Amino acid sequence: MKKGTVCAVRKKAIYAILLLGPLLFIFLSLFIGRYHVPLPAIVEILWCKLTLGYCNLPDTYVSVVWDIRLPRAVLGALVGGCLAISGASFQGLFRNPLVSSGILGVSSGAGFGAALAILLFNTTSYIYVFAFCFGGLAVLMSYMIGRVYNSTPAIMLVLGGVIVSSVFAALISFAKYVADPYNQLPAIVFWLMGSLASARFKDIAAAGIPMAVGIAGLLAIRWRINVLSMGDKEARSLGINTALSKGVVIFCATLATAGAVCVSGIIGWVGLVIPHIGRMLVGNDNRVLIPASLSLGACFMLLVDNMGRIITGSEIPLGILTAIVGGPFFVYLLKKTKGGGW
Amino acid sequence: MSLIELKGASFGYSRQDIFEDISFKIGKGEIFCIIGPNGCGKTTLLDTILGILKLRRGEVLINGGSIQKMRPHEIARQIAYIPQAHNKTFPYTVLDVVLMGRAAYTGIFSAPSAEDAVIAEEALALVGLTRLKGRPYTQLSGGEGQLVMIARALAQKTPLLIMDEPTAHLDFKHELTVLETIIQLINDTNLSIIMATHFPNHAFYFENNNIKTSVALMDKKTFSRVGRPADIISEENLMMLYNINAKVVSCNIVSGAALKLIIPISTRS
Repeated sequence: MKKGTVCAVRKKAIYAILLLGPLLFIFLSLFIGRYHVPLPAIVEILWCKLTLGYCNLPDTYVSVVWDIRLPRAVLGALVGGCLAISGASFQGLFRNPLVSSGILGVSSGAGFGAALAILLFNTTSYIYVFAFCFGGLAVLMSYMIGRVYNSTPAIMLVLGGVIVSSVFAALISFAKYVADPYNQLPAIVFWLMGSLASARFKDIAAAGIPMAVGIAGLLAIRWRINVLSMGDKEARSLGINTALSKGVVIFCATLATAGAVCVSGIIGWVGLVIPHIGRMLVGNDNRVLIPASLSLGACFMLLVDNMGRIITGSEIPLGILTAIVGGPFFVYLLKKTKGGGW
Repeated sequence: MSLIELKGASFGYSRQDIFEDISFKIGKGEIFCIIGPNGCGKTTLLDTILGILKLRRGEVLINGGSIQKMRPHEIARQIAYIPQAHNKTFPYTVLDVVLMGRAAYTGIFSAPSAEDAVIAEEALALVGLTRLKGRPYTQLSGGEGQLVMIARALAQKTPLLIMDEPTAHLDFKHELTVLETIIQLINDTNLSIIMATHFPNHAFYFENNNIKTSVALMDKKTFSRVGRPADIISEENLMMLYNINAKVVSCNIVSGAALKLIIPISTRS
C-alpha cells in the first residue's frame, strides 16, 4: 500500500514537471534576442496583455515581446512537441524504435508541396496550405500502398512510406532543378532547412488547430499504442479493432506532423530521438512516454531555437542545429542510462 | 451445454484449402489437444476460432453465440490467446504487459483503471510471478515469459484459453512449470483450454493428472481421429500421422497410477 502511494506521488511529480517544463522554456525565450528587454517589463507586458489591460511601456518592448518572441516561442513548443509525440506514437505502432515522425512520407510530401508553392505563387500563405495538403497526401498514399487483404501490416506501411518518401524527394530535387536560381532556389533550400523565424500569431491560429487536434488524439489513445505494439494478431486477440485504432493513430500523428512541418519546414531528428530520450527518462509505457515526448520535444525545440538566435548574428536554420545539439546530448544520455533497458 | 462448438468449419485462401469440415465441442474444465505435422493448419484453425480469419463454411459457437457476428472486444471477453513465440519489442514492465489483457474492457480513448490493475496483479499471482512485476519483460527467461503471456490471458477473464504450442523452446523444468500451471488453473478455475502441441505426451500428462482430455489428430486437411488420449495416441496412429515408428510405454511412479508415454523410435525407411 505504501509503495502504491509513493508511486502515485512520483507520477504526479513527473506530470507536473512535464507540464511546467515547456512553460518555463517559453518564458525564458522571451528574454533572448539582440534587443534587450528587462525582466519587470516582460512580466508587465504579459500581465497586461493577458488581463487585456493597458501597457504603460514603449511600443518596441511590447512589439518585441508580444508580437515576435512569444508567438515564436509558442509555435516552437508546439512544433517540437508535435514532431516528438508523433515519432513516439509511430515507434509504438510500427513496433520499431528506429521509426520517426516522417516515416510515412509526411515530411517529403510537405517539402514538395512547399517547393511547388514557391515555384507557382511565391507567397508564404500558399506555402502553408500546399505543404500541409501534400504532407497529408503522402501519408494517404503510403497507407493505400500498405493496405493488403483489408489490413495494414506494419512492414507494408513502412515500405509504402519509404517508397512515397523517395518519390517525393525526387520531386523536390526536380523542383529545385527547374527553379529560378536567384530567388526561388534559395527560398526552397531555406524552407527545407527549417525555421521558426516567420512565426506570427496568425500562423499559430491556422496551423495550431491540426496540431492541437493531433496532440489531443494521441494523448487520448496512448494506452492503446501499448497494446498495438504487441503486433496485429495479439492486439486483435486482446480485443482491439486494430484497423480502427491504427487509423486513428496515423490520422492524429499526421495532423500533428503536417501542421508542424507546414509552418516550420523540415526539422529532422526531433521525431526520432526525443522519444528515445523519453524512454530513458520515464520508461516505455506509452501512458507516460507519450506526454513526456510532447513535453521534451517542446523544451528541446525551444532550446535549439534560442541557441540558433544567440550563436551568430544571422540565424542558423533549425534543421541543422537540432542534429548538432541533439547528437552529443543523446550520446551523453545513452551512456548515462546504459541504454535504458534495450 | 458445451462451451465452444465448431460445426463443419472449413477455411482456405483463394486457391488453396487449408482445412475442411472440422467439428468438435468442449465443455467446461476440459482440455482439447490438437496434434499434427508442421504446416497441417493447426495455427490457421486457431486463428479462425479466435475470429482473426473468417471461415469459408461452417461456424464457431461460443456459449451459443457465433464468433463471426461478434466484435473483437466481445470475442476477447470469451477467448484469450497465448502465442507460440511472442515477439518482444519494447521493454515494458511485466505488470504493464499483463495489464494489456484488460484491453477488451477498456474504451479506445481510455486507460485501464485501478480495478484493472488489481485484476492484473491477481493474474500474476496465479502464475506465481508477483515478484517479477516491476522487471522489464524482455529480460525474463523463456519460461517466465510464457507464464507472463498466460497471466495476460488470465487477466482477460475468459472461460476459454487458446494456446499455440505453449512449451515450444522451453527446457524440461520450464515445460513442467507451464504444464503444472495449466493443470492448477483448470482445477482451480474450471477453465477450458484448446492447445496445439507437437508433444503427444502432453495429452497423456493431462490425462494422467485426471483432467478431462481429448486429442484430435489433424491430417489431410481435417481431424482424422478424435477421442481420449489412451484411445487415440497409439503406435498405429503415429505411423499414420508422421510416418514414424513409435512405442507406447507405461511406467509406475511412486504416487500411484501407471504413467503412460509414447516414445518415437525411428523414421520408416
